[in-house]
Amino acid sequence: MTHSKAASIFNKDEKKVNWHDKALWFVRHKRDIAAHTVTGWEELRNLGHGIKAHTLSNLDTYLTQFEENALKNGVQVHWAKDGDEHNRIVHGILKEHNAKKVVKSKSMLTEECHLNPYLEADDIEVIDTDLGERIVQLAKEPPSHIVLPAIHKKKEEVDVLFQEHLGTKPCDGDPQYLTGEARKHLREKFIHADAAITGVNFAVADTGGIVVCTNEGNADMGAHLAPVHIACMGIEKIIPKQEHLGVFLRLLGRSATGQHITTYSSHFKKPREGAKMHIVIVDNGRTEQLSRPDFRASLHCIRCGACMNTCPIYRRSGGHSYDATIPGPIGSILSPGKDLKKHSTLPFASTLCGSCSDVCPVKIDIHSQLYKWRQIITKDTQQPFVKKTSMKMMGNIFAKPTKFEKVGKVARWSLRNLPKSMINSKPNVWGKERDLPLGPKESFDDWYKKRQKNE
Amino acid sequence: MSSREHILSKAKENKPEAIALPNIDLEVFKDAKVLSEEFILKVETAGGNVLNATSDKDVIAQINTMFPDTKVNFSTLEGTESFNTVDLNKLEKPHDLENLDVLVLRGDLGVAENGAIWIPDHQIPMRVLPFISKHLVLVIKKETIVPFLHQAYQKLGNTHNDFGVFISGPSKTADIEQSLVIGAHGALSLSVFVQ
Ligand code: SF4
Repeated sequence: MTHSKAASIFNKDEKKVNWHDKALWFVRHKRDIAAHTVTGWEELRNLGHGIKAHTLSNLDTYLTQFEENALKNGVQVHWAKDGDEHNRIVHGILKEHNAKKVVKSKSMLTEECHLNPYLEADDIEVIDTDLGERIVQLAKEPPSHIVLPAIHKKKEEVDVLFQEHLGTKPCDGDPQYLTGEARKHLREKFIHADAAITGVNFAVADTGGIVVCTNEGNADMGAHLAPVHIACMGIEKIIPKQEHLGVFLRLLGRSATGQHITTYSSHFKKPREGAKMHIVIVDNGRTEQLSRPDFRASLHCIRCGACMNTCPIYRRSGGHSYDATIPGPIGSILSPGKDLKKHSTLPFASTLCGSCSDVCPVKIDIHSQLYKWRQIITKDTQQPFVKKTSMKMMGNIFAKPTKFEKVGKVARWSLRNLPKSMINSKPNVWGKERDLPLGPKESFDDWYKKRQKNE
Repeated sequence: MSSREHILSKAKENKPEAIALPNIDLEVFKDAKVLSEEFILKVETAGGNVLNATSDKDVIAQINTMFPDTKVNFSTLEGTESFNTVDLNKLEKPHDLENLDVLVLRGDLGVAENGAIWIPDHQIPMRVLPFISKHLVLVIKKETIVPFLHQAYQKLGNTHNDFGVFISGPSKTADIEQSLVIGAHGALSLSVFVQ
């Protein structure tokens, strides 16, 4: 399905779309306030960009160093070429420990690899423990945002969902009550878990340690109680030194939710006494993206979600319309790298306003990369007939001034005089949900000439 | 070829030419904020509250009035053993801490810019403690407050902690319609004593 088609499904509930739009804009606003309190914020972003660029240019060295140190720390390290191998490795570790009940904290990577269905097929219970993730898991939906997984759900929907699955009382969607019930329900799961899976926000090459950031404390509740902790990371999570965390942790929370830091920034190095710790390092298309000079900077991403919150298209089309694990502007440059055909409409789901690039804490040139994908896609994939023909016609008209003038005259007259039904006819998708302006009587050219004469 | 070698060789093959590692110049971040004031403001912004204390005994006295009816308490501060109702040495597994009401821990340092407090392994008898306790009380010395995370990491430098956590405020979530709820999976409240 094209992005615009999927978006039109989300757009059926106008009230909900308006709420979604405003809620995310509010998060963007909180980000601004937090960022503006930091003297040298732009310098901090430059550092974030620079450190990531440096790291990618030495990626193999830092990965090797990280592995060496992690092994010294008594952590077992695994490597996975793709999602399948990642799933097999995790499954293998769980089997080895006879683990049947697993608690998982937020990890976009395990979403990307579709780990849950893989494990569930072998009767392993996997519980997502981040509240938003638990909500979408119960609803059998994927997350629609990388930081706010259930942002597309209204509280009344959560109410009904919890009544059905957790046996809660009807409460008109009272967030306090529902969160309290989820806390009780998930406490049970933490206490009885055989293994905990977490994501990784940063992996530090010179210590072999990993850092996991949460507000809820779910990653820690899982990892410190279960006998086995499996941390899954993409190869791009590496940073060279511990001191670089100073840069990234200052950027992450503020960009994500406007918090100055997340509640918990947990630094795991060695497994706790009597417990085991595994790290799975995953490629799954990342080295491929690294080979593309125009797009490799997309691997700088620290998954803060700011580009989604600010994007006028994302806010009004919802995360599910992107049909990819990472939605929004950054998803629209990552996804085509994985499957150009499936995701060929995503780089067009943008106004190219550049707001994403302005807020990105690691200064990824998101909107220019979107533009570059468009060039490639228009060349390589079949474009819809109407778009192709109209673009050709427009190109023709723009190339010849006399023709342009004539057509302009007709267009201006038509906009003033033709009935709306004809102007907003079916091929004109711009006319959907919006009116075109009335055509002015004279062209800019005429107006300009007249103005010069009068001067 | 193993997956490890495959990934490493592709990373090597596809990486760009070497790009220099930028220097972190701390001068550009300097501002005129007063450390202790900024720290209090940021702990409060994160949902915690800050109190003053003259001694460890004073901390416990204040806690006793803050939480008069709690059943299960534990503190690592010196000379406060009478406050403790659990003996960690007798615990078989961390899961038995599930009913912990109040936990008092010492933090190594505080960060003014975000109200975070560094709690390393050697301050926590069991890693799960600060997360599983209903109410968390952290105690730091005023002179350990640093302006930014950069200085915090400088101080941590080569102290090689097996585990450590920056904690800023009580646990929270806004996953239901963006309404902030304090108390997700971790502590329901955070009090910070500055000595
Ligand atoms: S691309 Fe930038 S703004 Fe978007 S999620 Fe990644 S780091 Fe955040």
